[in-house]
Amino acid sequence: MKPLKATREQIRQHNRQLLLRAVYTGLADNRAALAAETGLAKPTVSDLIGELIAEGLLVESGRGESTDSGGKRPTLVRFVPNARQVIGVSLDNGRAFGVLSNLSGQVIAQHYDELENAQGDDAAEILTAVINGLVAQLDAPLLCIGVGVPGVVDVPNGVVADSPPLGWTNYALVERLAQQYHVPVYTGNSAELTALAQYAFGLNSDDDSSKLVTVLVTNSVEVGITLDGTAYHQGGDISGLCAGGAERLDHLLGWPAVQARTAELRAMYRESLLPENGLTYMHIHYGAMNGDPAAQQLCDELSTHLAQIAAWIVGLLRPNHISLAGPIVNLGEAFLNQVVAKTETMLWPQVIRPVIFSLAYSGNLSAIGAAALALHRELDIL
Amino acid sequence: MRVSAASAQRVIDIVTNFPSAVFQRDVIAGAREIFDHAGYPVNVVAIPEAPARLAALPFDKQNLAGCLVITFVLPDPVLNQLHERGIPLSLVGHQLPGGRIPGVMTNNRQGITMLMEHLIVTHGRKRPVFIQGDLLQNDGIQRYLAFQQEAMRYNLHIPPEFILRGDFSPEVAAESMQKFLTHDPDFDALVASDYLMAESAMNVIKASGRRIPEDVAVVGFGDAPEAAQAGLTTVAADITELGRRAARQLIGQIEGLRIRGLTLLSTELIERETTRSQPN
Repeated sequence: MKPLKATREQIRQHNRQLLLRAVYTGLADNRAALAAETGLAKPTVSDLIGELIAEGLLVESGRGESTDSGGKRPTLVRFVPNARQVIGVSLDNGRAFGVLSNLSGQVIAQHYDELENAQGDDAAEILTAVINGLVAQLDAPLLCIGVGVPGVVDVPNGVVADSPPLGWTNYALVERLAQQYHVPVYTGNSAELTALAQYAFGLNSDDDSSKLVTVLVTNSVEVGITLDGTAYHQGGDISGLCAGGAERLDHLLGWPAVQARTAELRAMYRESLLPENGLTYMHIHYGAMNGDPAAQQLCDELSTHLAQIAAWIVGLLRPNHISLAGPIVNLGEAFLNQVVAKTETMLWPQVIRPVIFSLAYSGNLSAIGAAALALHRELDIL
Repeated sequence: MRVSAASAQRVIDIVTNFPSAVFQRDVIAGAREIFDHAGYPVNVVAIPEAPARLAALPFDKQNLAGCLVITFVLPDPVLNQLHERGIPLSLVGHQLPGGRIPGVMTNNRQGITMLMEHLIVTHGRKRPVFIQGDLLQNDGIQRYLAFQQEAMRYNLHIPPEFILRGDFSPEVAAESMQKFLTHDPDFDALVASDYLMAESAMNVIKASGRRIPEDVAVVGFGDAPEAAQAGLTTVAADITELGRRAARQLIGQIEGLRIRGLTLLSTELIERETTRSQPN
């Protein structure tokens, strides 16, 4: 098969991104240095920098030092983070949660609405109502939109292949939103975007996350992978995998399953103080810490299921970091230690020991990741 | 009562109970900035008594572009009637079940989480007392639920008598604290659902001979010059910005955006003398 040739427009777009990234990351701050850094011809650099300045993405900011040979002092250029804004929305955990950020990923506004089990077009309507809530708060032009979705996502085509919680099958999400908002739209799996947010914005407790795997547990169970800062779009929803016996993972770990199992355990242990209504992971954490037998058994069971997932991940991918995300993190460090201890029993010590385990406490990581994905795809920064 | 007169153009009504109260005043100031810039004349409609029916509202519905409603001035059925008539609405500090009418709110959960982390992790306090706000208001409910959740996070045993009634009233808070102290309780921190209740309870604690922050560290939600003067550690959102956000949300709807749900405003911790000494 003949390789496809890039069009002039694609090359121009690529060169613009190259220059923008060089300024954004501080590799170069004037036209001559940019030409040297990127290998582009000086006239090309000059034209494209002029274009980026005209669009407000770069600004001239005084003169730099002259070169050793005493040449003319170069005009410096600087990235303008507030020149455009980006919207990222996630549709997991029963909510449509959106963030409006500037080009540096700084969150300017947050907006959410409950999904209330909405499916199909109803879910899409809530998504657009949340995007609209952020559009109303824009104080710079909107550059692009990113959306994180639970389930299997065909990222290159912008199609949600299958998202049972939202009732979307082969749903042309990107096309629909792009028609409505007239800006580029990108979509990805929620867990992948959570991992991307952790990588892009340093939300981990440590820096070594070049091979980071995020296990996102909400109503579903999803796995997101970033390899050297790029989301690996082959992870995603593993809810349907069957662990041990015949149970699907979401029937063991998803929040509806946890609630149902709690009810069973409460019936078994009459002395349990876990509430019948309004149960949260924090109640289970508190109960387990204080000897509540139902809470302790629940933590034991959940940690066993998660350890099995962690062992598969470590065995197959050898990540240097596994992060647990979603409301389940409210079970706390003691629970995480249980997961780690059980994972250690399933693998060779030298395989498991280098892996860092952490809890990702922030509740809006996949929305931030959706914004990061859009920004990365649109400007090749972050 | 109309505070300002409307022009012949379509106008925006800001409906509130007490326009000169600190919170309402700052929301109105922020909202006005945005409405003025967008060219919308503004009426501030002050209704000290909540009307039971829409017809009782003193505004001109013919001329109305939209309505910004601050806290609990209008009962939910009246808000629903306005919404059903297609009048754009934005609620400040209030939320109706179902999210159909959008609003803006301070991030209560984040704020209480910060206060508890500050008391427990930074200052090693273990026996906090909580003064509730009005549990008919979302702010009151959300802050109380967040306190309970955070207490569980840090495995704190909070006896029922450590939850005091406050109703967002400094007088009620002071009275509850006075009664609480008669039992000579063993507590080392106070979290109040708003800064005004924190201040009044703090005065009662001091009068009982306990030292602040050595014996009791005190924190409250929200901020104002009075809180700064009292040296109170708080978490706060920028209330003027809350007004700006609400105004943008309302203009968005007037211009055709269909919006549901809540815009959240982040809070920041402001550390002052009531917790400053004895870092852990």
